[in-house]
Amino acid sequence: MNHKGTRYLPLVVTVGQVVIFPYYIIWLKEVSLTFTLFAWFFAAFSFAAAWGYQIAQSRTNKDHSYLMFIYAGMGIVYILIGAIKNSSDILPYAVILLQVILGLLQGYFRAWHAEQDTYHLHAVHHYLIVGCAMIGFSFVKIISPVVVITIFGILMCMCAVWELMRNEKKKTIIPGK
Amino acid sequence: MQTIALLVKKPWFLGSLVVVFVSVILWNIPIEKRKYGLTQSGLVTDYTGLLPERIERVVKAENRSELQRIVKQANVDGQQIAIAGLQHSQGGHTYYKNGVVLDMRTFNRVLEIDERQKTVRVEAGATWEDVQEAIQPLGLALKVTQSQSIFTIGGSLSVNAHGRDIRFGSMAETIKEMTIITPEGDIKTITREDPDEWMKYIFGGYGLFGVIVDVTVDVTENKLYTVQTEKMKIDAYASYFDQLLNDQNMAMHYARVSVAPSSFLDEMYVINYKQTEKRDYVTALKKERSVRLTKLALDIGRHGGALENLFWGTQKRYIASIDGKEITRNNVMRSESTFMEYTKPGRVEVLQEFFIPVHRFEAYMNELKNIIPANDKNEDFKIHNITIRYAAADPFTILNYAKEDMFGLVVLMQHGLKEEQISEATSIIQNWTHLTLDHGGTYYLPYYRYQTKEQFRRSYPQWEKFAEEKLRRDPNNVFQNMFYDYYVK
Ligand SMILES: Cc1cc2nc3c(=O)[nH]c(=O)nc-3n(C[C@H](O)[C@H](O)[C@H](O)COP(=O)(O)OP(=O)(O)OC[C@H]3O[C@@H](n4cnc5c(N)ncnc54)[C@H](O)[C@@H]3O)c2cc1C
Repeated sequence: MNHKGTRYLPLVVTVGQVVIFPYYIIWLKEVSLTFTLFAWFFAAFSFAAAWGYQIAQSRTNKDHSYLMFIYAGMGIVYILIGAIKNSSDILPYAVILLQVILGLLQGYFRAWHAEQDTYHLHAVHHYLIVGCAMIGFSFVKIISPVVVITIFGILMCMCAVWELMRNEKKKTIIPGK
Repeated sequence: MQTIALLVKKPWFLGSLVVVFVSVILWNIPIEKRKYGLTQSGLVTDYTGLLPERIERVVKAENRSELQRIVKQANVDGQQIAIAGLQHSQGGHTYYKNGVVLDMRTFNRVLEIDERQKTVRVEAGATWEDVQEAIQPLGLALKVTQSQSIFTIGGSLSVNAHGRDIRFGSMAETIKEMTIITPEGDIKTITREDPDEWMKYIFGGYGLFGVIVDVTVDVTENKLYTVQTEKMKIDAYASYFDQLLNDQNMAMHYARVSVAPSSFLDEMYVINYKQTEKRDYVTALKKERSVRLTKLALDIGRHGGALENLFWGTQKRYIASIDGKEITRNNVMRSESTFMEYTKPGRVEVLQEFFIPVHRFEAYMNELKNIIPANDKNEDFKIHNITIRYAAADPFTILNYAKEDMFGLVVLMQHGLKEEQISEATSIIQNWTHLTLDHGGTYYLPYYRYQTKEQFRRSYPQWEKFAEEKLRRDPNNVFQNMFYDYYVK
């Protein structure tokens, strides 16, 4: 609660993820060749998320959270999506890999987030912010899904840097305590 | 239940679930299908996508009188109509700038099967596969089709297609009767004996002389064949084929020439289908099989050089392994096609076919070596395979590619889409066409038009008669397409 990072970063991540979700779906629909494949992509994401959630829950050292890597990982995946050319033969193979990585990271993040004191407050705030953001986005007509996804990727990378700085600060504070 | 709950708590279990599931998906991801064809808005293309064009609209008629009304109205409005089947033709044959595209896929019913007469009446937007599905349980099979069954009947007759059968002559010969809508909008039933000679212009007429609505096609017995394969040198092929043609037990045949650097235009293998006495009623129509593996093999070959040698070696082993197997006539006429899908941005894969008189084959192949490089690993223009078919002389149609008994060399090639890459490909193909013409050959018209107008005229000396009849039968130029615009107009 005391750290701004713990207070705001998870909120940015949860809100951001819901906000880009519609864009992500549009992108995924464009790259899926059939509905079956689209559904399978989602299933892979969900299974991987369950796995990630469980990994986070079975951590022994709860203070050590690897959050920086989670943010950076998500950021890189979203930026990669922005860079992918749409009509390649191997695209579905790349997408399934990205779905698994994303699911794993999200599951892990959710499990960590649910354990935080701020979680219940965030849940309320995030619904309100998402609602307002989506109304705002509904007025923006011309942005392609890939642009929004890439911007979110960059934001996630910035979160990773923030988290890194926060960790460094924590390290310097603790020894001198 | 409890064990499942316990297992779900183990990260290793969920991890394994993900790995298994992802492996299943990876194996089942469909091979990408080319995105081409008709849209109600924007640009229209055909199979290669090389000639995008804006059209006015796509119409789908529900029945014959609506079709007739559309054609009549076009005469009044000065509108141009292009006719589309499944658009596997590759040179803008199925659309025209600002014109209407008649999408024939709504006419896809098999109307009548006469088992005794061995005939089938079928609408022109149906595919050969539709016909095969209807006649296979009756022990019947088609007489002449392409090697795949993915094309519409109207599209196939309008290009006067040919296939692997060496006994039944041209596809046109297997049609007894057809219903057409003339350029003026009249419904006519025509036969080969028709004094107005409509069939002569409809077959190989590229949709320029009328709409084929339905046809009555002769079919034959669905015999079981024994596969016979053999490896040989190119210089032995022509005389080998002569003997094959005299052997009345041989029903179907094709061959494949090596384009691998180590045996370039030197080695080939033949695949024959030999008659047995057995007629087949029970063998199911074969579906696309092992697409992933065959695509992988072709993808390897696509790299050229040593990998192409490897691909050729694999093909030879495969061909040797099917020697002596049995296959039904219907199944010979429905080879796989999905594995050929190729969708790399900035590149295109196209087909070309050159016809060469049987007796000129050897000399022609020797000279061809001077035109295309043996090793195209580092070239932009690449050749992936050459198959050979036999096309018997066809004196009937006007734009006939087989003036005498010919071998057709079907070539799958690839090149880049930058301006200089396209012009390099064009110049190689034009040189190739030149060589073909010098040996008394021709080239096939449903594919992309790399050739010059002059080469078209040399290949099809009756083009003037074709143009004259077009003006006479379609004075308002109702049926139009980009093929006509480029070559004939
Ligand atoms: C992978 C591949 C393999 C092939 N193999 C062979 C082969 O083995 N042998 C061979 O001969 N050819 C072969 N072809 C060429 C093929 O036969 C032609 O492209 C054929 O036209 C395809 O039929 P379609 O239904 O796609 O016709 P489309 O491309 O839609 O139409 C072809 C022509 O027919 C006209 N047309 C279509 N329907 C009608 C109608 N109802 N009435 C009047 N005109 C009509 C169109 O206007 C157009 O001019 C192959 C092509 C491909 C892409």
